Amino acid sequence: MASKVKEQETIPVSKVQRAAKFISTGAKVGGNYVKHYAKKMVNPSMDKEELHSNNATDIYNSLSELKGSALKVAQMMSMDKNLLPRAYQDKFTMAQYSAPPLSYPLVVKTFQKYFGKPPEGIFDTFTRSAVNAASIGQVHQATKDGKTLAVKIQYPGVSDSVSSDLKLVRPFALRLLNMNEKELDHYMEEVEERLVEETDYTLEVKRSREISEACAHIPNLRFPTYYDEFSSERVITMDWISGKHIKEWMETNPSQQSKNQVGQALWDFYHHQVHNLKQVHADPHPGNFIIQDDSRLGIIDFGCVKVIPEDFYRGYFPLMKKGMVLREDELNQIFYSLDFISDRDTEEEKIYFRGVFKDMISLLGMPFHVDRFDFADDGYFERIFQLGDKISNDKMFKKSRQARGSRHGLYINRTYFGLYNLLNQLQAEVDTTKPEWLK
Amino acid sequence: METTTTKKTVKKDYRKLILEGYVNHVLEHGAEPASVFKFAKDLKMKEEEFYTYFTSFESIKSSIWVSIFDSTLEQIEAQEVFKEYSVREKFLSFLFTWIEELKKNRSYLLSLYQDKSKAFKSLPSDTREFKEKFKDFAGELISEGRESQEIASRPVIADRYDEALWLQVVFIFKYWLDDRSPRFEKTDAAIEKSVNLAFDLMGKSALDSFLDFAKFLYQTK
Ligand SMILES: Nc1ncnc2c1ncn2[C@@H]1O[C@H](COP(=O)(O)OP(=O)(O)OP(=O)(O)O)[C@@H](O)[C@H]1O
Ligand SMILES: [Mg+2]
Repeated sequence: MASKVKEQETIPVSKVQRAAKFISTGAKVGGNYVKHYAKKMVNPSMDKEELHSNNATDIYNSLSELKGSALKVAQMMSMDKNLLPRAYQDKFTMAQYSAPPLSYPLVVKTFQKYFGKPPEGIFDTFTRSAVNAASIGQVHQATKDGKTLAVKIQYPGVSDSVSSDLKLVRPFALRLLNMNEKELDHYMEEVEERLVEETDYTLEVKRSREISEACAHIPNLRFPTYYDEFSSERVITMDWISGKHIKEWMETNPSQQSKNQVGQALWDFYHHQVHNLKQVHADPHPGNFIIQDDSRLGIIDFGCVKVIPEDFYRGYFPLMKKGMVLREDELNQIFYSLDFISDRDTEEEKIYFRGVFKDMISLLGMPFHVDRFDFADDGYFERIFQLGDKISNDKMFKKSRQARGSRHGLYINRTYFGLYNLLNQLQAEVDTTKPEWLK
Repeated sequence: METTTTKKTVKKDYRKLILEGYVNHVLEHGAEPASVFKFAKDLKMKEEEFYTYFTSFESIKSSIWVSIFDSTLEQIEAQEVFKEYSVREKFLSFLFTWIEELKKNRSYLLSLYQDKSKAFKSLPSDTREFKEKFKDFAGELISEGRESQEIASRPVIADRYDEALWLQVVFIFKYWLDDRSPRFEKTDAAIEKSVNLAFDLMGKSALDSFLDFAKFLYQTK
């Protein structure tokens, strides 16, 4: 009994975390920024019963176990339309089912195929079973010449199944997102492009190296070295980064100074990528970061990188400028150019969505409007969720069948949501630097 | 040993000549030679000489299957880790290696078995000898698996497990014939998933592997 009570007490916290995690892993489809279900998860006084064993939890759990591209798409979708109704959930069963780990003979075969030798022929030691599951592969630990290495191996056939996975998800996406086919395709293309890239490990190694070199000057970051001679289309070998994922690290009660140090490193990392490199690690979910003993932030997994086109960059980031909401004309122009509002909208819709987007940018831009922002402020996140809830329950919003927002926004939004939520999990206060022209 | 080699090599060479000649003919013409007479003539051999080595084209095809099987076994047994493998892993390793051996003869096998209606008749007879040898191998694996409790001893059906593994071999072969994915990655996935299913069925908790396999087929076909 005692344990039960205790469990319940911890629910609100884990719920915030869960919601945060959810948002961090998913991208948003469409221009509607904020998630409808989130409030329910944040506000524990609401239907407690439901919270305990509700769909959301089930779905979240099953989604987090999903592998491959269906996982990513399903995550994105549930982000948008919150809880998948039971009926849909059942239909998802096929896609949700998580694949068993690769057998060791297949690992051997993969090594034979690409390196002409089994793992034992290359490394001094090599774990027979995976030490970590990845969404499209698994990670083994190896040693060679005194170095500890992480070896990531992809499941066979994943890259071929991206399109069919997406087709599987499509009918549900159509109904859940309330879009028409053409609009959905517009986003699905973007998603497919990224997913196909994620299965190309040769590209991942190239990008990891490029970005880690370009970010080498940023304090308190740690990047693994990548080893070409033991990497191929389906295998990546890199240094093992020892340390803890954010959640475990937080359980060790780090000092506020350490939390801020890690948070600042994270912010600086994204600042440099977005504003200087114009290409960004677009998968900021907790599994892709490891905090080391000296509170340095290890960054692994450059599978998902979004290159930011210059015109999109110029069009999108002014929205983050302080006082932007007040400049009606400029704002209108941006809304049009980013496809938030278009001529297909009725006058009434135009007014409504202009209001909605204004609310959203003033809220989401907040960290940019000040020099230093405290992401530990749960109240801020609650406001975001509440806004999302209000919007998605709004008749106007439900009626509209337009996809809103440029396709490039999909991953950029996902990135910022992920970033904010990681910073929230870290309870960090950071200097929210911005380029000169955004000040 | 030394003394007999000379004799044997001569003998072996004829056998080899026939096997190679047959494969080449199939590769170049996309079909079997019209008759043993014609085939022997092409090889500058007398027809009766042919019969010292093989009784028919069927027996040639059969011994090609057997030699693929033999070299597969040779290779897996040469692997250090093989001894440490569980039975499931041993069977996986067998299929992965076997597929590599088949790959060396892909064009030949495609010419003979791509046509489904013809293969329906010829495949079972061409592989009869291979099947027998395979079932010996499978039988060993199964008894090892029973000892290690990897395989459940069930009444009646347990005696048919070797047949089930054979059906799997046939399934994988047919799947591979149609596989157009780069590096036959889909066949690798099919092996992995179908073996997991088979061993789960023979062991416990089949549902997970079944769903995984069904999903895979649904998506790739
Ligand atoms: N270099 C490394 N050092 C230590 N652990 C690692 C390393 N690389 C990967 N891991 C572990 O393996 C897990 C999965 O790896 P990774 O994130 O690269 O896979 P993924 O397929 O990209 O997964 P996803 O797409 O879900 O992020 C990580 O969360 C981490 O725990
Ligand atoms: Mg990852």
